[in-house]
Amino acid sequence: MRGFRLIALLLCLAALPLLAACGEDKAENKPAPQAAPAQAEPAAEPQAAPAQGAQGEDAKIGFIYVSPTGDAGWSYSHDVARKVIEEMPGVTTSFVESVPEGPDAERVILNMARKGFKAIFATSYGYMDSMEKVAKEFPEIAFMHCSGYKTGPNMTAYFGRMYEARYLSGMVAGAMSKTGKLGYAAAFPIPEVIRGINAFALGAQAVNPAAEVRVVWTKTWYDPAKEKEAAKSLLDVGCDVIAQHQDSPGPQEAAQERGVYSIGYHTDMTAFAPKAHLTAPIWNWTPFYKDAVEKILAGTWQHQALWPGLAEGTVDLAPFGEMVPQDVRDMVLAKKQEIVDGKYKVFTGPVFDQAGKQMVPDEQVAEDKDLLGMTWFVKGVVGTTE
Amino acid sequence: MEAALIVPLLAAAVQSGTPILFATLGEMFTERAGVLNLGVEGMMVVGALAAFLTAQATGSPWLGLLAAGCAAALVGGLHGVVCLHFLGNQTVSGLALTIFGVGLANYLGTPFIGQRAPGFEPFDVPVLSAIPLLGDILFRHDALVYLSFLLPPLFWLFWHRTRPGLALTAAGEYPRAASAAGLNPVALRWAGILAGGFLVGLGGAYLSLAYTHLWTNGMTAGRGWIAVALVIFAFWRPGRAMFGAYLFGGVMAFQLRLQASGTDVPSSFLLMLPYALTVLALVLSALRGRGASSSAAPAALGVNIEPEG
Amino acid sequence: MEPPRWGSIFIFPVALGVSLGVSCLLLAAQGKSPALGLEVLWSGAFGAWYTVEDTLLKTVPIFLCSLGVAVTFRMQVWNIGAEGQFALGAVGATWAALTFANLPGALLLPLMFACAAAAGGAWAAVPAWLKLRLGINEIISTLMFNYIGILILEYLVYGPWKDAGSHGFPMTSQFVPAAVVGHFPGTRLHWGVALCVVCAVGLWVLLTRTRPGFELKASGESLRAARYARMPYNTLVLLVMALCGALAGWAGLLEASAVTGRLQPSLMVGYGFTAIVVAWLARLSPARIALFSFFLAALRVGAENLQLELGVPAAFGGIMEGLILLTVLAGQFFNGYRIRPGGAHR
Repeated sequence: MRGFRLIALLLCLAALPLLAACGEDKAENKPAPQAAPAQAEPAAEPQAAPAQGAQGEDAKIGFIYVSPTGDAGWSYSHDVARKVIEEMPGVTTSFVESVPEGPDAERVILNMARKGFKAIFATSYGYMDSMEKVAKEFPEIAFMHCSGYKTGPNMTAYFGRMYEARYLSGMVAGAMSKTGKLGYAAAFPIPEVIRGINAFALGAQAVNPAAEVRVVWTKTWYDPAKEKEAAKSLLDVGCDVIAQHQDSPGPQEAAQERGVYSIGYHTDMTAFAPKAHLTAPIWNWTPFYKDAVEKILAGTWQHQALWPGLAEGTVDLAPFGEMVPQDVRDMVLAKKQEIVDGKYKVFTGPVFDQAGKQMVPDEQVAEDKDLLGMTWFVKGVVGTTE
Repeated sequence: MEAALIVPLLAAAVQSGTPILFATLGEMFTERAGVLNLGVEGMMVVGALAAFLTAQATGSPWLGLLAAGCAAALVGGLHGVVCLHFLGNQTVSGLALTIFGVGLANYLGTPFIGQRAPGFEPFDVPVLSAIPLLGDILFRHDALVYLSFLLPPLFWLFWHRTRPGLALTAAGEYPRAASAAGLNPVALRWAGILAGGFLVGLGGAYLSLAYTHLWTNGMTAGRGWIAVALVIFAFWRPGRAMFGAYLFGGVMAFQLRLQASGTDVPSSFLLMLPYALTVLALVLSALRGRGASSSAAPAALGVNIEPEG
Repeated sequence: MEPPRWGSIFIFPVALGVSLGVSCLLLAAQGKSPALGLEVLWSGAFGAWYTVEDTLLKTVPIFLCSLGVAVTFRMQVWNIGAEGQFALGAVGATWAALTFANLPGALLLPLMFACAAAAGGAWAAVPAWLKLRLGINEIISTLMFNYIGILILEYLVYGPWKDAGSHGFPMTSQFVPAAVVGHFPGTRLHWGVALCVVCAVGLWVLLTRTRPGFELKASGESLRAARYARMPYNTLVLLVMALCGALAGWAGLLEASAVTGRLQPSLMVGYGFTAIVVAWLARLSPARIALFSFFLAALRVGAENLQLELGVPAAFGGIMEGLILLTVLAGQFFNGYRIRPGGAHR
């Protein structure tokens, strides 16, 4: 018995320094709460904030993440923005990470609401129903739901037009591919992912009309082994550029090992595959979140559906890898400028589906509601949306 | 699927079969010494994390490999204490070990998700990799795969041709007789647990150092359990373990390649294949080996050694 | 199971004390105040009536799954397939809810319960049959059935059952009101809480007051004795597995119908695995299972509050659970060893 407990004790002891290290990390990253919030409490009439805290008390902003913030992907990209908001005067933030979608989410959102949070950001589509339920009970709180479609008098649906950046990354991939076969390691068949694959394919076809995109579903958000193997399987069928929609750099590694090119996602993934990484469509939530929180504090926040994109800086393209030639860079950056200026819109007709049926009429642009609920692949994508 | 895909598929089968092969041989080692250890999944995932952390800290994948083996053996040691000294139920203890190992690795590993560690890179074996077909399938991998090629024959030699191997067999088959012959079956079983645990840890290390160079929670994704099933499927024989591991690796690689070549089968069904095949393999080995399977198992497997007197 | 020994009364408080002590050390190592941490943990779970409601809501699925798992463990059948049985139960109930949406609630709900029990029970009975007929290890087969069951659920909500109005998200359409298990008036608690009580009492009666219950107890304690007494071992194994599948299936039904009101993949959060831990901690007694599932639910709900108030990482709750499991198990071994050295745990 002694041995048993000894080992258990040893394991726990082994955990201690590590924890201490995490604690220190956190301490460094988080500044002490701001001591001078007075001028932060806005002079403007708060429109709908009867539950506002006493004078001088910071407004609490809550964030709910679906995965650990260290995932270097989706939750991380939101947490980067949260840290910026934390430093704004008059604001404190809290977050709960690894909250499963569904029943648990409702409890966490409800808890934040009961604790008098001023605004709650829920950053996964599966939180939508839970948030809608809670929002009805707490009319004075601003509810912000990312990647869904339901709105309410005090609930905003917001997302980023990642597909704009995906379109540009598709142009890069199409230009750099020799075989015209592009591989796409995809996460789950939900509209966000399908939209991204379609935009990527359209971008590639804008450069090489014969380009085809092969899709493999992993049904994972972060499983390096499976995602790397998915990328390899795409390489085996002749793809020579790999794109991905998961958070792990597994597919990047596969491309680097095989000496082909890759497109990252979420953040600049160059460090994982310097010889392969061409560019990556990336998130930058900071401007959007800062603006939202400022407006919430000022009481001028309108509840609506918001879908910022390249123009607002919410999505962007990571720096090009050295191997991308100048003419490709120029072409892609020119297109980016057109999108930013509103002169070009992705999903401008004619757009056909896999079977050749015309889905977007000539000269027209697909409506946002159709994009948000996209369940079909464009022509040139090989794979199934089930 | 086109014929040109067969060679890469087989190469991928070898690679994704390798972590399972290490784990299967490890569990087989332990079971042949008479101890049923169902904690493979937990030990494997702890091994994967230990390998990742050590390689990241020291920059040496080989040290990482060593750490993985030791960490998994240490976790296996809990099983040894419970079963060999407190005569705990081997099934229950193994299950607890899995829960504990997975929980521990999740907790300690979460801060390291999204980071990279130095690992094993593939290299072509001179001469051998030039063999048509076979060279492409077998000899364009990393050092751990080549190491795993050596294990089954060594394993066989050890169990059948060396004195310690025979002593361990005695501990698994007839612990009382072994004891009467002056051997210490408890010590022998300890050796079986620790050596087997070490091998299981290498399987975990393969995932975080060679298959990828990344860590994530629950990285083993059921491979440890598949290894437990494969030991039965292989009738406790190392050669068959190799065949079984590559078969499973092949199915895992196959379903993704089927998607890549554009199939209409829903991905959920394809992702089910490895798990369904595990059940099927057990059914087949039960049907084929009625009697054979029970005689292939070490006679005292899962039976604790009661103190005498 | 053996009757509790006098020493076992102290195991849990001591183990809890030890693991809370270590948790406090961990908190202190992160620069947080341990006293504040414990207070935040407590108030997160029991601080107000609504947090108690939250804890109770979370207790329901853990309790039902654990009850089922414990019955199979009593038979020395190591069924770790509650997760898959939970998934199939939710699938069975959803099938009824979608197919017979125009039935009145008085018919539809019982039908859903029957379908959930049938689907969950069948999903458990197949590994049981494989074990009895072919001697296939039930741990491995039930585990594989977990993976397969979850993927079946995913296939349905991503494919044929996907709601046309869901904007392509993987979920079925909202259940009609007749298919929703109702709530106690004025609370967030659904009738599943009452079902738990019914199931616990029913199981207690079954185990202690009926012939199958007696047989079950006997064959669990000694297989040889049971065979000698010509007890229908095979029937019993099938029975307990199907029972476990039905209970886990009902847990799935309640989560789908009463909590989310539709079938979606995010229902699967690992209650089936938590159930094993609980069954173990409770040493398979229904009353203690109730206690421990409530306790574990409280720990999880409370740990969220730790994140919210103190910024402690989510994994901290996991390590607390692990510590408690480990210390309780160690305590049980210790207790058994002291009183009956050797052979105490055959």
